[in-house]
Amino acid sequence: MPIMTISEALRSTLIQLMQNDDHITLLGEDLSMGVFGVTSGLDREFGNDRVINTPISETAFVGMGIGAAMTGLKPIIEVMFCDFMGVCFDQILNQAAKTHFLSGGNIDIPLVIRTTMGAGDGSGAMHSQSLHGLLMQIPGLIIACPATPADASGLLKTAAQSNTPVIFMEHKGLYAMTGEVDLEIPPIPFGKGRVVKEGADVTIVAVSKMNHVSLEAAQVLASDGISVEIIDPRTISPLDTRIIADSIRKTGRLIVVDEGAAIAGFADHVISNVVENSFDVLRNAPRKIAPPHTPIPYGRSAEAVWLPNTNIIVDAVRDLMRSDNE
Amino acid sequence: MEIDDLKTIFADAWFIRAFEDCVAALSDAGKIPGLVHLSHGSEVADVMLRRHLQPAIDKITGSHRSHSLALIGNIDPIALAAEVMGLSGGTGNGLGGTQHIVSKDTLFLSSNGIVGAQVPIALGAALSARRLENSGIAVAVFGEGASNQGGVFESFNMATALHLPILFLMQNNQMAQSTHVKDVAVVNLTARARSFGMVAEQVDGADIVSLENTFERLIQYIRETSSPVFVEVSVPRLGGHYHGDQSCDGQSKVDPLVNLQKLLQAQDMHDEEIQTIIDDAKARAKNAVDEAQKQRDQSGESLKRYINDHPQLMGNL
Repeated sequence: MPIMTISEALRSTLIQLMQNDDHITLLGEDLSMGVFGVTSGLDREFGNDRVINTPISETAFVGMGIGAAMTGLKPIIEVMFCDFMGVCFDQILNQAAKTHFLSGGNIDIPLVIRTTMGAGDGSGAMHSQSLHGLLMQIPGLIIACPATPADASGLLKTAAQSNTPVIFMEHKGLYAMTGEVDLEIPPIPFGKGRVVKEGADVTIVAVSKMNHVSLEAAQVLASDGISVEIIDPRTISPLDTRIIADSIRKTGRLIVVDEGAAIAGFADHVISNVVENSFDVLRNAPRKIAPPHTPIPYGRSAEAVWLPNTNIIVDAVRDLMRSDNE
Repeated sequence: MEIDDLKTIFADAWFIRAFEDCVAALSDAGKIPGLVHLSHGSEVADVMLRRHLQPAIDKITGSHRSHSLALIGNIDPIALAAEVMGLSGGTGNGLGGTQHIVSKDTLFLSSNGIVGAQVPIALGAALSARRLENSGIAVAVFGEGASNQGGVFESFNMATALHLPILFLMQNNQMAQSTHVKDVAVVNLTARARSFGMVAEQVDGADIVSLENTFERLIQYIRETSSPVFVEVSVPRLGGHYHGDQSCDGQSKVDPLVNLQKLLQAQDMHDEEIQTIIDDAKARAKNAVDEAQKQRDQSGESLKRYINDHPQLMGNL
């Protein structure tokens, strides 16, 4: 199997999808250039009628994608950073998310919005957020957060087949991550998580880059004799609650590591779901590792403090192992 | 236009007027869950627009005030009335409602609860038409209030930059809820639209000869050149912002339907024949609304079915 970066996997998958379906049309800013390499040069391959470099007008081009999806095309939109959803939030919150429902399910909205998330590269407060938790609160949106090249490819295929809108969140810090990708593999169904590493003592749930950070922590903890199980839900809405519950039944302990909001975000949702449904098997209170409730800072040391890291996870797991309920 | 055209226009416009009068009565009778924004005043302009559209290939998106556009846009009047009441048989089985009429395979595509949001969506219908090469056009209908929304400015620019076949049809009734246009925009709105680099014209929504000439000429231009056009139609808002809103009454208004009736009289049409057309339109509207009232409120069932049918949209699996 070929080894690819996430960026290359997304690009190869887009090409494959576009070759197989003439209705797929890309919309977004600077697609020809391709800020992260995913769409670079695709306009030359497919023509500028299918790869459309738009003005910097997120409201207009997200709305255009919705209207095109309602009338026969399958648009894949790129919103360069999820922070930019602030300027077109009505089209996401009220239009993309609701139209299928308001039609009584009669009208399909085959729309994908690709966007980026993630801090750690000095991009500052308005090009670094991870808004997946905010977006998962909106009924009508499917939210995918792939962490590997193979998952990026498989989930993008599924997104392109969806008849309701999908927000596809690509982590800036993972574009260069490599892995095996079989472009012939079938699409990965939404709502089906993956056990990244099996373990017996603690369950860590994390998506996107935080899944990799958690895996590093698990390797450190293995030398202490602590066995960590790591779950990657892959899509956070729908969320594979079964794979999480199964793991908790085994370990009795939960930590959620997330780069999104510390309050009412993805981590809180997972914890509330586990407390609600698996309380009887929990050995102690679940923990959340998330950034402080501030905007993302700019300076290198501040950004490093802000982001969850391996040491924080290792300490939290050790502490958790010492504090079981009687 | 021949006299028979005028009669048809009069009958179609009166059907919309009568339909909206029925909706007002339903609202007064407590049969509509929320507030309704009625189309009184735009009927004639809407019917004139419809004469130059092709339902198989064109698409209209409208605002919160879209019952009239839905009716000219081939939405079944019974389904429209049912949706306005939140009953089964409606366009969204009672899940959408008066401000959210969404329909597949009809000239009318969708209305909207957010002022101006329908305009970017119409860009997409225009893009589909261009990509599918069917010479269809999109029509984004919005009020002068929406013309101050950023997304509308973005859409004007997007349409000119990408050469999209779209008619931006601004119905200027001068009132955005309770705010008069002169208090919130200091320039001529047609001139402002023209500055984006597209053809932009103004037409009196009570003057059917001008409406006919303007729509015929400019819609043909959009089809032939795949270029956007802006048209400002002056229409009165013959009621409040919503039915029952008394706050904006007392302004002098010309009713385009009355103008059209005078035109028919000037063409030597007898008063009895005019009255017959009006009575027939009222009867057809009443029949549609009566038929819709036979439907039950099964929106609770619609909601449960939607939940059941779409597990992947329910958050947790």
